[in-house]
Order: sequence, then structure tokens, then C-alpha cells
Amino acid sequence: MRKILVLLALSSGAMAEDIFAYPRAYWENSVTVWFWVAVAIYLIVAIPSVYFMVKYHYKPGKNEEGEHIEGNTALEIVWTVIPTIIVLFLGTYSFANFVKQRQAPEGALELKVTAFMWGWEIEYPNGKKVYTFFNQVADPEKNIYLMPEKIDDSVKAYIPAGKPVKVYCTSRDVIHSFFVHEARVTEDCVPGRITKLWFQFNKPGEYWVFCREYCGTWHSRMATVLKAVSEEEFNKWLGPTQGAQQPAPAEQAPQQATQ
Amino acid sequence: MAVAHVPPSGTWYGATLKEWIFTTDHKKVGMLYFITSLVFFVVAGLFGLIIRFEQTAPGIHLPGMFGQEGADLYNYILTGHGAIMLLWWAVVVWGGGFANFLVPLMIGARDVAFPRLNSFSYWSFFGASLLVLLTLLPPNWIKMLWTGYAPYSMNDNAGPTSLYVLIVLLYSISSTGGSVNMITTIVSMRAKGIGWTKLNLFVHAIMAASLIQLFGVPALMGSVILLFTDKYLGTNFYNPMLGGDPLLYQHLLWFYSHPVVYVMILPAFGVFSEVISTMARKPIFGYISMALAIYAIAFVGFETWVHHMFVSGVPDWTRVLFSYTTLFVAVPTGIKIFNWVATLHKASIRYNTPMLFTFGGILMFLIGGLTGIPNAMVSIDLGISDSLFIVGHFHYVLGMALTFAAFSGIYFWYPKVTGRMYSEGLGKLSFWLMLIGANIMFFFQMYMGMANGMPRRYPDYPPIPEWVQLMQIQTVGALIMSVAILLSLINWVKSLWGPKADDNPWKSPSLEWSMTTTPVGPNNFKKFPVEVPDDWHPYAYYKGYHAHI
Ligand code: HEM
Ligand SMILES: [Cu+2]
Ligand SMILES: [Cu+2]
Repeated sequence: MRKILVLLALSSGAMAEDIFAYPRAYWENSVTVWFWVAVAIYLIVAIPSVYFMVKYHYKPGKNEEGEHIEGNTALEIVWTVIPTIIVLFLGTYSFANFVKQRQAPEGALELKVTAFMWGWEIEYPNGKKVYTFFNQVADPEKNIYLMPEKIDDSVKAYIPAGKPVKVYCTSRDVIHSFFVHEARVTEDCVPGRITKLWFQFNKPGEYWVFCREYCGTWHSRMATVLKAVSEEEFNKWLGPTQGAQQPAPAEQAPQQATQ
Repeated sequence: MAVAHVPPSGTWYGATLKEWIFTTDHKKVGMLYFITSLVFFVVAGLFGLIIRFEQTAPGIHLPGMFGQEGADLYNYILTGHGAIMLLWWAVVVWGGGFANFLVPLMIGARDVAFPRLNSFSYWSFFGASLLVLLTLLPPNWIKMLWTGYAPYSMNDNAGPTSLYVLIVLLYSISSTGGSVNMITTIVSMRAKGIGWTKLNLFVHAIMAASLIQLFGVPALMGSVILLFTDKYLGTNFYNPMLGGDPLLYQHLLWFYSHPVVYVMILPAFGVFSEVISTMARKPIFGYISMALAIYAIAFVGFETWVHHMFVSGVPDWTRVLFSYTTLFVAVPTGIKIFNWVATLHKASIRYNTPMLFTFGGILMFLIGGLTGIPNAMVSIDLGISDSLFIVGHFHYVLGMALTFAAFSGIYFWYPKVTGRMYSEGLGKLSFWLMLIGANIMFFFQMYMGMANGMPRRYPDYPPIPEWVQLMQIQTVGALIMSVAILLSLINWVKSLWGPKADDNPWKSPSLEWSMTTTPVGPNNFKKFPVEVPDDWHPYAYYKGYHAHI
């Protein structure tokens, strides 16, 4: 329940600094609107039905047969037109948020992700690669998932907190899906295609990525961890940059050639 | 000819074993379908319990065996649970079981249009059922889940592709035969005076469902045939390394497998309409819009399949377009719900077991419908696609609304089929337990998907205390639900020795009640050809009407 309340509080009115992750914030907007519409419709239908169930109970000698009513055209038009307007509204509200969920802001860190049975390869702009295999997120003795703090840092993908990250994903074998759990966004990684998504964590921390398209035996352990750290720490971890990410234009030219 | 096999005993079911095997009588074929379907429902239900136990605590608990991991066993059982619940229960219980028994009786016909095709359809379905049993052997474990997404389904990790393809093909032959039969029967064999506006809504639902099958099944067959030729004959429809496209499989699959959810749910709506009108003693509210809504849902249902592929990499504009088309399904569906509620207004409602299951089923369908909206709103779907939310949502629709409708229908027609009355007390107890258990189980399943972002098809998950708790609650719900199902099964068997039922215990003008004996005679009707008065209507429940029949 607390989660739902936080979810509702986080919606539309919340200040930008409160926002924990993108595109989760946009997702939550849509969820909140749907939630209240659904509750309202549920009550509008359930209250009269329960009321009728009680009131028009069969009573021997008093209420033996129903009235001869076959319909009411005006009413039926009303409950065709109003739902049409509601779904148009919901569809358009979702459309508006969807555009923001899909559009990565300028200057995002670009990662190339390759999924495979069963693990992830994450490549940074400077060519640095991080691999996570399914057996690295679990304790082999107890045959059980490790929590992020117990997982070796070398299999975690570092990202800068407060900065957008754009992921280009593909797969080496079957279809997988790169689900950035706390950012509430996923996109399938399809062999032969490159798909994209973006996300941003505003708070440093460790966040799960799960595979969300069924892919066989270790689908449920095909996870990795994103470690969101300050920008300096991230740059230190990333090591020497090469190519287009170079900050100073003067040093850029010779290195681009090596790329 | 159906009549040739009529046994002398005077009830529809009196016959030797040989006659049961060679029968072409729609009632017997219907019952063969029904029993097969129910047996598989129980098996798939047990599979569901195994899944629940596996998920109750983090870690993999199922044992590895025959060179396969515990996780493989889980994947096999989940494949079995999903595929059997959908294809053997949700589709066949209606199109095979209920429709065969009831449609000819409701329209005043002696049998379906093609009795031998009907029998053939059953036996090819039976063949598919035997092949399903073969998958119980560990080397035959099919682990590609009911969706069988390429290219995974061609991978050796997924189990024998050829067996899977063969099962789907046999099943498809059976569905095609069955739907051709139903459509022809409904179009050409209605008794005099039974026009399209005087058909039971259940018959309209079967008509719409059969049309969907006829249009949709070819896409399913195509999708698996291409899978077969890709894996064994070296074609490359789905293999991207050779220029194919895995998304082609998904488009073909969902072009059938989305509309098929209406093949499952429309007949359930049909049962709701029959039961609610009969037990409320009132004509169904807005009959014409109820019938049109059925066909509208079937039609719009073919324009929405991409909502299963919102995160599959299809272009963004396609996602938005299909988001709207999917949302529009809510309009005709809403009409049906509002009309059911309006039927209760100024009614005289009897609370027996069929009515409880129908009323509960409608309210659960309402939740299922409202929780379908976030899957259609593409913005929300990005965060919940392939999570437990969708699994909870379709269990509200299939595990509750549809299964409640099937139970309601079984109780409702039990006297007509068996000639005996079921036990009300046991039936009501089963209903209340099922309502409580199923809500505990599936509400928290849905909640975990939305609030905790728990992915689906996961035997294992990180040991986050909140997740473990939510999983344990679901298992409690599943256990209560199993007890409820068991009580109903006991009721149906035990009541075969129950008190004898009247010809028309519900005092219904619908032909299957008013024109037949209980149990139905071999020739179906007391008088043939069936004739109805001008003011007859299957839902003519009002004072003084019964004088006519
Ligand atoms: C006895 C009651 C039932 C229980 C305890 C149960 C339980 C479950 C569970 C735990 C899952 C797996 C969730 C996951 O992906 O992690 C599941 C999946 C599923 N269930 Fe049920 N279920 C029940 C009844 C039904 C019914 C009646 C239907 C349909 C008519 C149904 C259709 C499905 C389908 C289609 C799936 C998805 C399988 C897949 O992911 O491929 N279930 N069920
Ligand atoms: Cu996976
Ligand atoms: Cu669908």
C-alpha cells in the first residue's frame, strides 16, 4: 500500500528535484491517471449492481417476476458515448507521456548492450566492456540470488547519477529484454535489430536490470546491476576516454583516428 | 447420420462404449470434449500449484533431473500450465463442450450440420491431447512457453520443436472443423421462427467465436509451419543471420492469439447473459446492443494484436496506433457490462449457485477489464510489459471471469445434461471459497507486477523481503482456490446420484429447457420440427409468458 501512495504522491504535482528516475516519472503520471479513472468506473458499476442485488431479491408472494423492460435506447447511447470519450482521453494522455518516455534528452551517455543466453555485455563509448553472467548474480552454494551489495563490483555497469543514459540493444541468439527495473522501462533485444531506450537515475545507488523476455533455463537469473555514482567517480571508473566523448576539442583529432 | 446411433435407452447418454467412440451425436461429442477439457483443467491446475510452490521462496527448489536443471522443469511446467489452460480449457470447454451440447438444442436442430466432421474434429483434438501427454517424458519437455517465440523455439534449449508443431497443427485442424460446423449449423439449421434477433446470446457468442477461429487459425498454422521449415528444412523466415525476421513470428502468432482471447471470453459472456436473465426473471437488457457488441468485439479484436509487441522493437507510431485500437475494445465491452447491471434493475433475483458464479464472474471481469487498460496504454505498458501485472490481469479474466462462467454454466445446465440436481450448499461454499482464494492469489500477483516491477516467468528472484511476503500470500490464495475447485468437482460427481430434476427447473422459455425432456432424449425435442409462437423469445421472462410454452 505504501508503495501505491508514494506512487500517487510522486505524480503530476511533484517537484523536479523529487524525481527519482526517468522515464519512471512519466510512467507514474499515466499510472496515476489510469488508477483513478479505474477506481471511479469500478464504483460506478459495482455500487448499483450490489444495490440491485440486494433490493430486487426474490420474495415469494411479493416479488415473483421481474418487470417487462427490454432496454432503453437513450441510456445505451449514453454508455456508448461516454466510454468512447474516456478511452480517447486515456489514449491521448498515454500518447503524450509515451513521447517523453521514448525521447532521450541531449547529451546522454550511450551504451551498447548485447544480450546472450544468459548474460549481458555492456559496452561504453570508450570501448570498455562489462560482462555479467547469470551465475555471477547468485550464490552457487545456496543456489539463491545475491543482493546487489554482495555482488562483485567488476560485473556491475557503472553509470553517472543525474545524467541520462541511452541504451542501444541487440542480441546474439534469442530475444531478451533489457528491463531497467527501478526506471520502469524495458525494450526487447532482438537478434538482427537494434532497439533503444533511455533512463536516468537521480540518486546514487545500485539498481537491478532484469531480462524480461523469456529466453530459457536461466531467464530468471539473467540480471545485472547498474551502479549509479557521481560523475567524477564514474569518469574515474571509466578510465581514459577515446573518440567522440573527448571533452577538449584540441585533443580530439588524433584519437578519433584510432577509433 | 446422427440418428442412426440413437440408443434405445431413452436418454442421450445411454450407449455402449463402442457407440461412444463412433458416435456422431452432438451431445455425446460435446461431452467427450467437455470431459477431456475438464481433465486437462485439473492437470493444468496442479501445474499451477507447482508453479506457486516454486515461487513461494527465492531460489530454485524443483529438482534437476535427466540432465536438465530444476529451472528447466519449471519452464516445462509453466509451458504446460499456460498452453493447457488456454487451449484445452478456455477455448475447448466452450467451442467443443458447451457449444456442441447446447447450440443445436438452443436453435431447435437435431444435430450439427456435419456430424461426422464433428466427430473427426474431436478425435484429432484427442490425438493432440495424447501428444501433450507425451511431453511428460523428460526428453520431450517443451519449454518454449505457450507463445513459442522464435528464434528461441528453434533452439535446442526449448525442447522438441517438431512435437510442438505437430500438436498445434492437430489442434488447429480440430478448431477449424469445429468452427465450420458451428457456423453452418447456426446459419442454416435454425428452427422456423428463430431469426437472428431471437437467438440466445450464447449462440451469438459461439457464432462470433467460430468466425474468429476460421479467420485466425490459418495465421497460427502458418506461424508454426514456418517454424518447422526453418528448423528442419533450412528456410530462413525467422533467422536474422540469414535475412529472416523474428518479429514475423510474433505478428503471425498474435494475429491469431489476440483474437483468440475473445474466442475464450465471448462464450463466457454468453453464459453470463443466459444465467443473469433466467435467475433475475427479466429479459436481458438491450438484447440488440448485446448481440452487436459481441460482433463488434470480434471485429475490433483483429485490429489490436500489436499491443502484445509494445516493447518488441516495432516503430513508435505503430505502438501509438494500436494503443488506440486496443482501448476501443473497452467500448463494446462496457456496453455488455452496463446492460448486465441494468438487467438486475427491477428484477426478481434468485441466489443459487449458477447466479452467484455469474454475478461474481461479472464483477471479476470488471476488474479484469479495468486492469486491461494499462496494458493498452502504451505509456504504462513500457513499465509493466512481461511483468506479473499482466499475468494477474489475465487471471482475473481467464482464471476468474471465464472459469466462473464455466462453473456457472456447468451448474446451470447440470440438471439438463445429467437429469439430476446438484447440491446447492456445496456449490455455494465452492463459490465463496473460490472468490476469496482467487482474489487473494491474483490481486497480489497483479500488485507485484505494478508496484514491485516483478518480471513474469521467473522461478527465482532476489530475496527482497517484501517480494517474498507477496509471494507467500499468493500461495495461500492458490490453496484456498484449489479447495474450492475440488469441492465443485466433488459436487458434480456426487450429484450424479442426486435428486431427479424437472424438465424445466429454471422455468425458462429458451428451447433447450422448454422443449426437451430431462435428461435430453435421443432425438432432442419432445416435438420435431420445433415450432415457437410469434411472441417467443429466449429471454421472455415476464408475467404470464409461460402460458405459451
Ligand atoms: C488453479 C489456479 C491457478 C493458479 C494457482 C495459477 C497460477 C499461475 C502462476 C503462478 C503463473 C506463472 C506466473 C509467472 O509467469 O511467473 C501462471 C501463468 C499462467 N496461467 Fe495460471 N493459474 C491458475 C489458473 C489459470 C487458469 C484458469 C488459466 C486460464 C484459463 C491460467 C492461465 C495461465 C497462463 C496463460 C499463464 C502464462 C504462462 C506463460 O507465462 O506462458 N491459469 N498461472
Ligand atoms: Cu530472458
Ligand atoms: Cu491481446
